[in-house]
Amino acid sequence: MGKKDIDRLYNVFKEQAEAVSARVYRVKDPRDAGRRLTQIFQELNVSNVITAQSDLLRECLGAADTGKVTVYAENLREHSEDAHLGLSEADLAIAETGTLVQDSTALEQRLVSTLPPVHVALVRTGRLVEHFVDALEQLNHERAELPGYIAFISGPSRTADIERVLTIGVHGPEQLHIIFVDRPGGEQVE
Amino acid sequence: MSEKEGLKNNVREALANENLRGALGRFGDAYIGARENAYAGKDFQELRGQIAAIKGAAAQNMEELARRFAESARSRGAKVYRARTAQEARDYIKKLAEEKGVRKIVKSKSMASEEIHLNEYLNQHGMESVETDLGEWILQLSGQKPSHMVMPAIHMTRGEVADVFSEEVKRQLSSDIPELVRVAREQLRKKFLAAEMGISGANIAVAETGTIVIVTNEGNARLTTTLPPVHVAVVGMEKLVEKFADVKPILEALPRSATGQKITSYVTMITGPTPAAYPDGSVRDKELHIILLDNGRTSMQSDPVFKEALQCIRCASCLNVCPVFQLVGGHVYGHIYTGGIGTVLTAFFNGFQKASDIQNLCLGCERCKRYCPGNIDIPRLIRELRRRVVENNGLPGMPKFVLEKVLPNRKLFHNLIKTARAAQKPFQKGAMVRHLPMFLAGLTEGRSLPAIAEKPFRDIVLTGHRPPATGDQTKVGFFAGCLTDFVYPQLGEAVHKVLRHMGMRMTFPVEQTCCGVPAIYMGSRKAAAELARRNIAAFERDGVEHIITACPTCAHALKHQYVELLDTDPGWRKRAEYFAAKVTHFTAFVAEKSDNGELPGLQRGNMRITYHDSCHMKGCLGITEEPRALLSAAGLQLAEMEGSDRCCGFGGSYSIKFPEISRRILDKKLAAIEATGAQMLALDCPGCLLQLSGGLDSRGKALPVKHTAEILAQQIAGSGKS
Ligand code: SF4
Repeated sequence: MGKKDIDRLYNVFKEQAEAVSARVYRVKDPRDAGRRLTQIFQELNVSNVITAQSDLLRECLGAADTGKVTVYAENLREHSEDAHLGLSEADLAIAETGTLVQDSTALEQRLVSTLPPVHVALVRTGRLVEHFVDALEQLNHERAELPGYIAFISGPSRTADIERVLTIGVHGPEQLHIIFVDRPGGEQVE
Repeated sequence: MSEKEGLKNNVREALANENLRGALGRFGDAYIGARENAYAGKDFQELRGQIAAIKGAAAQNMEELARRFAESARSRGAKVYRARTAQEARDYIKKLAEEKGVRKIVKSKSMASEEIHLNEYLNQHGMESVETDLGEWILQLSGQKPSHMVMPAIHMTRGEVADVFSEEVKRQLSSDIPELVRVAREQLRKKFLAAEMGISGANIAVAETGTIVIVTNEGNARLTTTLPPVHVAVVGMEKLVEKFADVKPILEALPRSATGQKITSYVTMITGPTPAAYPDGSVRDKELHIILLDNGRTSMQSDPVFKEALQCIRCASCLNVCPVFQLVGGHVYGHIYTGGIGTVLTAFFNGFQKASDIQNLCLGCERCKRYCPGNIDIPRLIRELRRRVVENNGLPGMPKFVLEKVLPNRKLFHNLIKTARAAQKPFQKGAMVRHLPMFLAGLTEGRSLPAIAEKPFRDIVLTGHRPPATGDQTKVGFFAGCLTDFVYPQLGEAVHKVLRHMGMRMTFPVEQTCCGVPAIYMGSRKAAAELARRNIAAFERDGVEHIITACPTCAHALKHQYVELLDTDPGWRKRAEYFAAKVTHFTAFVAEKSDNGELPGLQRGNMRITYHDSCHMKGCLGITEEPRALLSAAGLQLAEMEGSDRCCGFGGSYSIKFPEISRRILDKKLAAIEATGAQMLALDCPGCLLQLSGGLDSRGKALPVKHTAEILAQQIAGSGKS
C-alpha cells in the first residue's frame, strides 16, 4: 500500500472512530508514541498502568516517562482492579467503521482492554485495512487457526439504556485512545 | 380475567403511561433517520437478500448445522449440549453450577435465557444470577419485564431508575443519568469480579468453525466471557449459520437496523475456551459450555409457512417502525418476544393459545416488512397465525356471520348495505355520521364516519357512462372495492373521468364484490378465497386489458394475496396469476400511461398540498413518486409532512377492535398534517380518506381531503378549478 492509500485509510479511520468517541493520534515512531503516552499519563493523572506484552508496547513504553506511574506487565488479574489505564496493541484497524481488531486469546489482552477506565491501544499504521471483510481475510491469511477470542472494538463502552440518553463508559473503558505508529521498528527518519 | 380482557386492560394501562409513550415515540422518530444514516452507501435490499438466503438455508439444514457446529466447537475444546426444551436447558445449567460449586453468576443479555426464565430458576435454587446489561439489571432489581427486545427498560424514567438504585445501594441517589450509570458500573463490577460462572447468549453461531459471535455496546459480555472460569452460552438454534463468511452481512445489518449504529462498540468472536484466572491465582483454560436450544425451533423449521421466522436476527426494527408498538410498548404482548415477529415466536416458544389474542394487535399496515433485514414477510406470518387461530377456535359470532354468510353472497351483502343506508338516515348530519348505534359504536372513536352513499357506484355506472370520443379506447376494468362502491362513489366517477380524458374505455364488471381483505385479516381464508374466485371470474368474463382500482388495499389483495389464497388449486392459481399481472393502482397506471408522469390537458392548480403515503400504497405496492409527480405536474405545491408514510391508524376493522390505539395514531398523523400549513391533503386510499377526513371533521377542521383521482379529474378542462 502506498503512502497516499495509508493516509486516506487513516483519515477515514480517524473520522469514524472519533464519531464513536475514540481519540485518535498518529505518530512517527515509538519515541513519539512514548511522548504521547507520557502526555496521556500526565493529563489523566495516571498512577497505575497494566500492559499486555509486545515488542511495540515495550518500545513505546520504554520511550515514555514512567517516573510517576507504576507499570504492571505480569499478574495482571491481581493488579487490574486498581489500574487506571490498560495498554495493548491492536492487530488490525478497520477504517470503514473506526474499529480495532485484536486477537484477545491471551487473558492479558482482555484484562487491559476491559477493566481499567482508560484503554490505550497502539497500532502499526501499516495494519490499516478498509473493510470488515478485509480484516477477516487478513486474519485468515496470517493464522493457521482461527484465534479463540477475537475482539472488535469501536470506541469506548456505551449505553443508552436509561431514557435513550447516550452515556459513555458503562462496564468497559470510559476512554479509548488509539495511537497509530508509522514506523514501529523505530527506523531512522529520512 | 380472560386473556382477551387482560390484553385490553394492558393496552389501556400502556396508553395511560406517558413515560412509555414519550420514550418510544421519541426513539421511533429518531430511529428512522439514524438507521438511514447508518445504511448510507450500503444496498439494503441486496444485504437483506443475502441474509435471507444465508438464514433461510441455515434453517433448512438446522439439524445438520447443529451437528457440525457441535463437532467443530468440540474439536476446539468446548462442550456442546443440545437442549430440546427449556427445562432441559435449565437443568443442565443448574447441574453444572452445582457440580462446580457455583453460587455467583453474572449474565449478559440473552433473549434465549429470558425465554427459558433462567434467572428465576437459578435464583430459586439458591444461586445469585445477576443481569449485567444495564437495562436488564434495572428490570431485575425492580421485578419488571423487558418492554423492547433491544432496549429492555425503555419504559422507565430516570427518576424511577434512581429510586430502584437507591434502594439497592441504601442511599438516596439523584436522577442524574451519568451518575446512575456510574453506580451501576461500581455495583456490577463487584459482581463481575466475584462471579464463578458467566452466562451469555450469542447473536450468531458458525457451524464451520464452532464460533459464537456476540454483539454489545456496554462491554458486559466481554467481562462475562473473560472473568469467570466457567462460561455458558445459551444459543437458540436459529442463530446457526453455515460458514464463517456468513457473519459479515449479518454483522453489517444488525447494528444498523437495531440502533442505527454502523457497528456496536464490541463484537466478540469466541472459538473454544480461552484462558481465565482461577481463584487460586493460576491462569488456565476456562470451561466453555454451549447450549444449543431447540424449544420449538425445529417444529417451526418443519412448518412450511413459519419457517421463515427463523430468518430473524432480532434487530427489533419491526418494533421500532410499528405504529402500534410505538404507542403501547412491549408489555402488552405479555411475553419476552414482542411486536409482530414476537407474536409469531411466542406462538412457537410459548404455545399458539398464548399468541391468539396478541396477534389482534397487528394493524396490517405492513410497514415492518419494508424494514426487516431478514426479509421476512411478517404481516403474512401474522395473517397465517390468525387463520390458524380461527381454524382452531372458530370466528366469533357476528364476524363469522358476516364473513361466511354475507360477504360471499354478493346480492345479500349489497342489499344489507342498502338497508343500512336506509337505517342511517336519522343519524346523518352533513356528510358525516356523528353517531352510530350498538356494535358499530367503536368506529366513531375520535372520528366521524361518512354516510353510505345514496347511490352506489355500481348503479351510477350502469346508467350514466359513455365511451370516450377519441383515443385508442383501451379497455380498462375498474375494481371499485367496498368503500368506493358504497361510500365514495365520487372516486369511481373521478377515475372514469380521467380514463375517458386519456381516451380509454372503463368497464365495471358488476359481478365484482368485496376484495376479501376483511376476511383475510379476520383469519377466514375460506371466505377470502371464495371472494377471490368470484372477482377473478367477473373480470375474466369482461375480457379487459388492465384492471385498476383506486384502493391500494384492494390492489394489494388482487395483485399479491389472491395468488397466495388460491395457491393449493393449480387451475385457480394460474387464473389468479394471470389476473394479478393486469392489476395496477389507478395512480401508478395514470403515471405510466401519461406523458413523463404528467397528465396532459389539465388546468393548472396552485394550491399548497401535502401528501399522505398510505401504508399499502408505499409498503405493498411501492408507489410513492408517481402521485407526487402527477400532482406537482398539475401545478400543485407539495409541502411534505413529517413521517408522510406513517400509518393513519385505520386498519379496517382494527379501529373497532382497538379504538383507543387507532385514535392515538390518528392524532399524531393529524398533527403532522397540520404542521405543513397545507390547504389540502392528498392521498390515494379510500380507507385513509375515511380515517383522515373523519378525524379532521370530528375535530372541527375544514381541511379538504382528496384522492389523487379526484384532484386530477377536477383539473380536467371544463370541470372548474381546484
Ligand atoms: S423480524 Fe426482521 S425486523 Fe423484526 S426483529 Fe427479526 S430481523 Fe429484525
